[in-house]
Amino acid sequence: MSGGGAGGLRMGVGQRSGPGGLRAGVGEAGVRRAVFAPVERRARVDAVVRRIGDAIELGLLADGEQLPGESELAGQLGVSTMTLREALMALRQQGLVTTRRGRGGGSFVSLPGRPGQARLKTRLRGWSTEELRDLGDHWAALSGAAARLAADRTEPEDLRQLSRSIDEFMGAADTAARSRVYGRFHVELAAAAQSARLTREQVALQTEVGALLCLVLGDAEYREEVADRHRAVVLAVQDGARDSARTLAERCVEESAARLVALRLSL
Amino acid sequence: MSTIPALAGAPAATHGAGAAERAAEGVAARVGRALEAVFEAVAETAAETEALLTRVAAEGRRPATADLAALRPGLHLRLSREELASGVGFIAEPGLLSDVPAWLEWWQSTGEGDVRPLLLDLDPGRSAYADYTHWDWFALPRDTGRRAVAGPYVDYLCSDEYSLTLSAPVEVAGRFAGVAAADVYLRHFETAVLPLLRELPGPAYLVNARGRVAVSADPAHLAGSLTRGPDFAAVLERARPAARGEVRLVPCRPVPLVLVMGAGLGSAASGEAAREVAGRGASSAPSAT
Repeated sequence: MSGGGAGGLRMGVGQRSGPGGLRAGVGEAGVRRAVFAPVERRARVDAVVRRIGDAIELGLLADGEQLPGESELAGQLGVSTMTLREALMALRQQGLVTTRRGRGGGSFVSLPGRPGQARLKTRLRGWSTEELRDLGDHWAALSGAAARLAADRTEPEDLRQLSRSIDEFMGAADTAARSRVYGRFHVELAAAAQSARLTREQVALQTEVGALLCLVLGDAEYREEVADRHRAVVLAVQDGARDSARTLAERCVEESAARLVALRLSL
Repeated sequence: MSTIPALAGAPAATHGAGAAERAAEGVAARVGRALEAVFEAVAETAAETEALLTRVAAEGRRPATADLAALRPGLHLRLSREELASGVGFIAEPGLLSDVPAWLEWWQSTGEGDVRPLLLDLDPGRSAYADYTHWDWFALPRDTGRRAVAGPYVDYLCSDEYSLTLSAPVEVAGRFAGVAAADVYLRHFETAVLPLLRELPGPAYLVNARGRVAVSADPAHLAGSLTRGPDFAAVLERARPAARGEVRLVPCRPVPLVLVMGAGLGSAASGEAAREVAGRGASSAPSAT
């Protein structure tokens, strides 16, 4: 696992703060209390479950692949062994991991016979609508800001990669590949903004949202709509129309988040 | 890394048009030399790789990733020797190696003086970033047969850093086999170059062939922004200083960067003359040298 690079599965649970995370109270004392409050273990367990579950759904971890040992994995993720064990238990219940004891034993990735959509819906149930809404807000903030800056700073070379991603998005063989290219478009948009920070944030965000997007990208009509929205963003960036580039990118992302929320409410 | 020393420079003359021009040309030459040292490291990697691949071909077999391990001592040496280079290596043309579809033999310095290999997931079935052949640092040397400077760009594949990548083609028996390359993080390049730019009598910055600002001592033209108007590719092509109003454009030979220097204090022109808008996105000349 490399320290950098979008191709790698990024471990580390700290990116999203769960219910027990940095919820600031009123006033500085409240903020300090919130900062140093113990992170609720449940939130960490959920974060680990999501991280590993997403990686399995996206095919980043292959069927039958052995996960690192408990203490090593806990160390990589920055959680206690107890938290990791609870997470592995939840993953076993979801049928995504099997554990074998004894010599040659350990935890293995296991893709159950259930169709991917059903498994993904189980994963979506792990998100509250409020968290999904917040995820959408964060994504819109990143992609909107990136589109605006890209409109100021872009050149034909940057646009070529974005256009290529739109083509690949339409030609993708399955929804997992399509959702990966969807994410790559937004990473490329952040890179076109010439911002390493926005790009890093976008890469991290895509590791969370990528698996969920599979659920809404199966719809052929919506696929077309996303491609059209991406084309409109590219055109606005090309024209140097910073405000409309921002608005178009925000709308594109907000629509995807809204579809996830609607789907979540139907479960 | 905090050990990047500023490039040593003679004090620049502070008045007189001729003196300002000479100062700009002196700074451009020093910038060119600084990156030329990194290009020399790239050329060493290219030569070692070529020799290695030729040797393997003479044995009547295709090279494999294990063969490329022989490059490591040289790569580690160059990483520790070249203060500006934070990543060095060889990137194979897909299909070159017998055991993997694609490969980067890439090493990075950690900032604590160690080196580590870059391990990417290059399986197109799992990663949307598996195909690296469209990146400028790969495509320019492949398509032109010449060395190139890619960037400034956000390198989200290898380093997550805002970078310049210097690369050169590796050919075996006349066939393109991949590129040798070195990464220069912009923040390190700025540490080395900014003191030189600040010596100059007018606001100064460096742009690539497409007008993208790499390092700037002019708050009106920050790194990453585009300077539209002047045809920087043409300035590099002619390899001679040029003037545009009161703005001087000096190529940093032999690398494809242009030093842009506005008129000094007391002149109303400052950096604005170079920002004349002349149609968006008109020039996208490759920055091969």
